[in-house]
Amino acid sequence: MEIVHIINYFAWFIFVFIAVVWILVLLQNRERYPRNVRPKKMPFISVLIPAYNEEDTLEKTIKSVLEIDYPKNLLEVIVINDCSKDRTREIAEKFGNKIRLLDNEKNRGKAYSLNRGVEAAKGGLIACLDADSVVEKGIIKKMIGYFENKQIGAVTPALGVFRAQNFLEKIQYVEYLLNVFLRKTLAFMDAVHVTPGVFTIYRKNVLEDVGGFEVGNLTEDMEIALKLHKAGYKIENNMNAKSYTHCPDKWKSLFNQRIRWYRGAIQNSIKYKYMFFNPKYGNLGMFLLPFNFISVFAIIIIFMLMAWNYLTAISNFIWKLYLINFDLAPLMSSFDWNFALMNLFSSPVLFAFFGLALGAYVLYISFRVNGIEIKSRRPQYFVYLVVFPFALMAFWFLALVHEVFRVKRKW
Amino acid sequence: MARKQLNIRILVSALVISAILFSAGFYTGYSINKQILGSIENDLKKVTADIQNFQLQFLFFDVLGESATCPLLRDTLSNINTQSYEIGNRLVSSGSEGQITDQNEYIILKKEYSRLLTGYWLLAKKLKDTCGLEASTIIYFFSKECTTCDDQGFVLSYLKNRMQEKLLVFALDGDLEEPSVKVLKEYFNIKTYPSLIINGKLYEGFYSVEDIEKLLKTAV
Repeated sequence: MEIVHIINYFAWFIFVFIAVVWILVLLQNRERYPRNVRPKKMPFISVLIPAYNEEDTLEKTIKSVLEIDYPKNLLEVIVINDCSKDRTREIAEKFGNKIRLLDNEKNRGKAYSLNRGVEAAKGGLIACLDADSVVEKGIIKKMIGYFENKQIGAVTPALGVFRAQNFLEKIQYVEYLLNVFLRKTLAFMDAVHVTPGVFTIYRKNVLEDVGGFEVGNLTEDMEIALKLHKAGYKIENNMNAKSYTHCPDKWKSLFNQRIRWYRGAIQNSIKYKYMFFNPKYGNLGMFLLPFNFISVFAIIIIFMLMAWNYLTAISNFIWKLYLINFDLAPLMSSFDWNFALMNLFSSPVLFAFFGLALGAYVLYISFRVNGIEIKSRRPQYFVYLVVFPFALMAFWFLALVHEVFRVKRKW
Repeated sequence: MARKQLNIRILVSALVISAILFSAGFYTGYSINKQILGSIENDLKKVTADIQNFQLQFLFFDVLGESATCPLLRDTLSNINTQSYEIGNRLVSSGSEGQITDQNEYIILKKEYSRLLTGYWLLAKKLKDTCGLEASTIIYFFSKECTTCDDQGFVLSYLKNRMQEKLLVFALDGDLEEPSVKVLKEYFNIKTYPSLIINGKLYEGFYSVEDIEKLLKTAV
C-alpha cells in the first residue's frame, strides 16, 4: 500500500473518530439537550454593542435588545461607536436615554470597544452583541439561570442566520444549525472553545480577572473563551436561546470572513499550545483543541488528494477520448457493467461513502435537535454535505498558506 | 485550578469504535477483492474449457471435412474471443487500481491467462491457415515500465470493440515469468514496449487508431 493511501486513511480515521465522539456525547446527554435552566435570581445585565459603520443594521439591533423580556431597571444598553464614518452615531442618538453612547476618539477595533464597555458597565453580567445581529425576546431569561453555578464564567446562545435569502446564505444557515448542535455537545464536555460575539453573556468580574478581550487578536471571541478555561471557569450553552446574525452573501466576503476566522484559529492555537494533549485541560485539551487542529490538516490532505484524483481522472479521460477521436459508441456498447459495479465497492470508495454517511447523520441530528425538518431545506442539506466542504477545505488551505507566509491583510 | 472535565471513557470508546469500523471497512474491501479475483478465476476456467472444446473440434476435420467444420470453428472462435478479452480487461484493471492484496494469487491468474492466450493464438493461426479466417490478429506486448502502454491498450480495446470478430487481439504482459510468453517474445524478437505483431509482422512503439487501421488494410 502506497504512503499516499496510508495518509488518506489516517485522515479519514480522524474524522470518523471525531464524529463518533460527538455521537457518544449526544447519546449520553440526549435528555439534557432541550432543557432550559430557570433563573432564580435576576441580576443587572449590561448589553454592549460595539459599532463601526453599521448604519444599515444598528437600529434593528438596538430595538431587539430593548424589546427583550426583562425588567427595564435591570437592563442597560451601551453602544460603543468606534469612530464610525457613516450615520451610525445619529442612529444611536435617536434612542436618547434608552441607551448609553460611548465614542472612541480613534478607530480602535472591537476588542478595545468591548473592554471600554466592560469598564463602563454597571451590571454584574455582560452580554456582547454584534451590531448586525438581533435576539429573541426570551434570550436573557433562558441564559442567566446557568450563572447560579459559580464555576460558570460565560453562557453562549444558539446562533442562527438572519433572513437567509440567496443560496450561499442558505447553505450557511445549514452550517449554523450544525454549530448549534456542536456547541451544545461541546458544552456537555466543557470544551466550548469559542464564545460568539452575538449575545454571549459573561460575568463582569471574570472578564476583569482575565484582562478583558485581547486587542489586535483576529478572533478575540476564541481567545477570550480559552482565557476563561485557563482561569478555571466553565462555559455553558443554551440551545434554545436564539440570536441571529447576518452572514456573508457573496463568495468574496465569505472568503474574507473565513480566512480571518481560520487564521485567527491558527494563531490562537499556537498561543495556547500548552493546552494541547494536556490532561489538566480535560476534554478541551485532550480532544477538542488538538483534534480540531489535526482535522484541519486532515481536511487539507483529503482536499488535495481528491482534487488531484479528479484532475488526473478527468484529464486522463479527455486524453483517451482524443486518442479515439471522441467516437464513444463502440466503448459504450461493450461496457463491463458487472465489473465496474464490483470495483465501486473497493476500499477507498467504501470509506468515502461511509464518511459521507456519518457526516449526513451528524447533520441530520443537528436538524432534529433544532426542530427543523430536512424536507424544508433538502437542497441546502445536500449541498452543504457534499459541495460546501470543498470550499471550506480550500479556505483552510489558503488560510494556512497566508499564515505561514505572513500575508498582511486589512480587516 | 481544579482539573477540567475529561470523559476518558467516551474518548477511549470512540477510539475503539472507530478502529472497529475501520477494520470492518478494510475487511469488506479485502473480501470484495477476493471475490473479484475469484470471479476472474471462474471465468478463466470457463474459457479454458471452451478452448479445449475448440481444440477437440479440430478433430472433426478428418471426419466431416472442411466445409462442415469451418463454420463451427469460426463460431466457437468468436465466442472465446469476447470472453477472453473481457477477462483480460478485468485482470488488468483490478491490478492497476493497486487494490490487490493477494499479489501471488493475482500473478498466478495472470500467468494462467497468458498461457490461455498463447494457446488461443496458436489455434486462431491454425484456423486461419486451414479455413481461411477473415480476421486480423494483433499480439500486443506490454510492460509496467512503458509509458505509452496504457494508451496503446485503450486504442486496441476501441478497435476491437469497433471491429468485433474481424480483429483478434492478444495482450501479453512482457514482465511475466511465463515460458509460453518468453517463447513468443524470443520468436518475434521483442525488445521494447509496446510492441505489436500485426498479422505476423513486428511494429515497435505506439500506434494510433489511424496508423493501425492503415496497417490492417494493407496486410491480411
